[in-house]
Amino acid sequence: MAFDIVPLQRLERGYLQVMRINALIGWGLLAGLAAAGEFLLRSRTGWPFGVVWGPVAALGLLSVLVLAPGRWRRWGYAFTERELHVARGWLVRVHTVVPVARVQHIDVSQGPLERGAGVATLRLHTAGTEGSLVTLPGISAARAEEIRDAIRARIDDAPW
Amino acid sequence: MVKPDSPDEAAPRRLDPRTLLLLPFRVGWGSLILALPAVLGWSRGEGFNPGLLTFGLALFLIVSIASGLLGWLTFTYQVLPDQVVIARGLLNRSRRSIPAERIQDVSITRGPVSRLIGLAEVRLETGGGEKDEGVLASVSLAEARRLREVLRRQATAPAAAADAAAGAVAVEDEAVLFRLGTGRLLFLGLFKFSLVWIAAIFGLLQYGGELTTYDLEWWMGRLRDVVVEARPQDDPGFGLWIVGAAIALGLATGVGRTVLKNWGFTLTQDERRFRVRRGLLTRSEVAVARRQIQLGLVEHGPISGRLGWRVFKVQTLGGGGEASGMQELLPFARPREVTPIVGLAGLPPFREDDLAAVSPAHAVGGLIGFVGIPAVLTGVASVFLWPALLLLPLLGLGLAVALLRPGRHRFAATEESVQVRRGVLGRRDWTVPHGAVQTLTMRQGPLQRRLGVATVRIDTAAGGAAGGPHVHDVETARGAAFVGEVMARVHALPPRVRSRATAGVDEGA
Repeated sequence: MAFDIVPLQRLERGYLQVMRINALIGWGLLAGLAAAGEFLLRSRTGWPFGVVWGPVAALGLLSVLVLAPGRWRRWGYAFTERELHVARGWLVRVHTVVPVARVQHIDVSQGPLERGAGVATLRLHTAGTEGSLVTLPGISAARAEEIRDAIRARIDDAPW
Repeated sequence: MVKPDSPDEAAPRRLDPRTLLLLPFRVGWGSLILALPAVLGWSRGEGFNPGLLTFGLALFLIVSIASGLLGWLTFTYQVLPDQVVIARGLLNRSRRSIPAERIQDVSITRGPVSRLIGLAEVRLETGGGEKDEGVLASVSLAEARRLREVLRRQATAPAAAADAAAGAVAVEDEAVLFRLGTGRLLFLGLFKFSLVWIAAIFGLLQYGGELTTYDLEWWMGRLRDVVVEARPQDDPGFGLWIVGAAIALGLATGVGRTVLKNWGFTLTQDERRFRVRRGLLTRSEVAVARRQIQLGLVEHGPISGRLGWRVFKVQTLGGGGEASGMQELLPFARPREVTPIVGLAGLPPFREDDLAAVSPAHAVGGLIGFVGIPAVLTGVASVFLWPALLLLPLLGLGLAVALLRPGRHRFAATEESVQVRRGVLGRRDWTVPHGAVQTLTMRQGPLQRRLGVATVRIDTAAGGAAGGPHVHDVETARGAAFVGEVMARVHALPPRVRSRATAGVDEGA
């Protein structure tokens, strides 16, 4: 998307719902706290109820309806059998390339929300420093396992 | 000759009893120095109770001696054929076992007091994240040497059976590659001119004036007038004198620190490692396993570089001693001395001709950072303090640096390595063998997007947080092509050298 290194695939649509629910939970908690605080301090400030939690809730709504899809659209990945590409980021765009030969170990994980949406997160560990953990969320569980098995086979093949 | 598997060798051992003599230097010293101003302040006040102070000190001493003694009693280490076990603690007992194959080297450090009473600190380098993973705070020098020999023999045994026969001899069999002579050491010190210490000394002048004797007090007072309060008095020559003294002081501290750190610097090698020994009061020894070297860095200082002096460093996985995995192999050397060491480190030569410059847009960041922001800050400061305007000529320097930056930041993917050069005043040349490239990342901030450029970050094992071999502000299409080119080289490597970082770990398998 951002850079023409390889053509990228989008994440599963189901992951967009996961991102939305995560944003909803986070912003909901924040709005709830704001509402509670406002309610308790109402007698001191004398502000009309809703002057604080209203904007917070509006920001949350914006995040769930507009920003989450925007961020979701910026994610992209490609697996070319020899390397894994992961691209993300809205303000700062980042595209990381991991050569399969450099992968030390691989995790596939699935949280409760992800399980509901049928997606999984693939984590690649390398010996690097800042790129020592490369995370690819929101691909189908079957695809994650397929990539994992392909990488594992290639690591095992390498005659040390 | 000691046998590692005889029962006596494998029994748990305590640290040397003389460790207890070091106790005051370990716990007490630092806090006592901190207490000194408080004691001085107290002694000038009226309501000072010497009995209370004595009681406090005695309590402090008793507690620290008791805890030190307990610590010594409960700390044991045990060298087994396949692992080292370190047990410690009275209530929370912990037992840490370090597998022999994970011990990459054993380094021995000796501070001034340890040298006096014949002790040494032994550090087991494992390449793990934790720094104090295997530290034996003080054992006798003979024991330290024995440990090193035993552990080294164990570490090399599975890797290379052929070396085992020659093992004990090979440890002694080191070739000296480089020795820093005294003349050159002093010359190096001149380039380590340090302003920090001048600032510290003037800070002391401001607050510590009252502590000095009567005669000195007058000088200190005048110094403070001129330097701290910027109020040159009747004598204009005095200011010049101060500037001269400050420069002399800066040079002296630079030379002093360099001599303390690099006295007797020697670089040697045996069949697997480089070894750096240096230091006047604290003699330190650092080993760098050659096959763990991830990248090479040749530095040119702003002045010393123009006079033809170079610093050669390597980034090594699991090298110990210094943070960030950077080890200095040559602190001050001529290019013709650097070239053979680069080769011995298994790094390809740096090819200047292949380099290509980054985008001219690289100047934009410099214009903002070195000219724009300082200009605004100077403007604001000069409203309150007019001498700030004297800093304006420095903006010219900033402008020159910003404009020269794009031409001085160059990169290439050669047959064997990624090469990156960067720096206008000083210069740094990185060489990263393709086998050490872990991941590549292209990154683009909002400003870079407007300029159509991106940064290519080359991630290596054991790299530091700041200033790796990154290619900043290259045109997006060229950056993508560069990433593709490096990836193609990485894939083309024969399996043996595919990854420098894993080769060492898996070599026994």
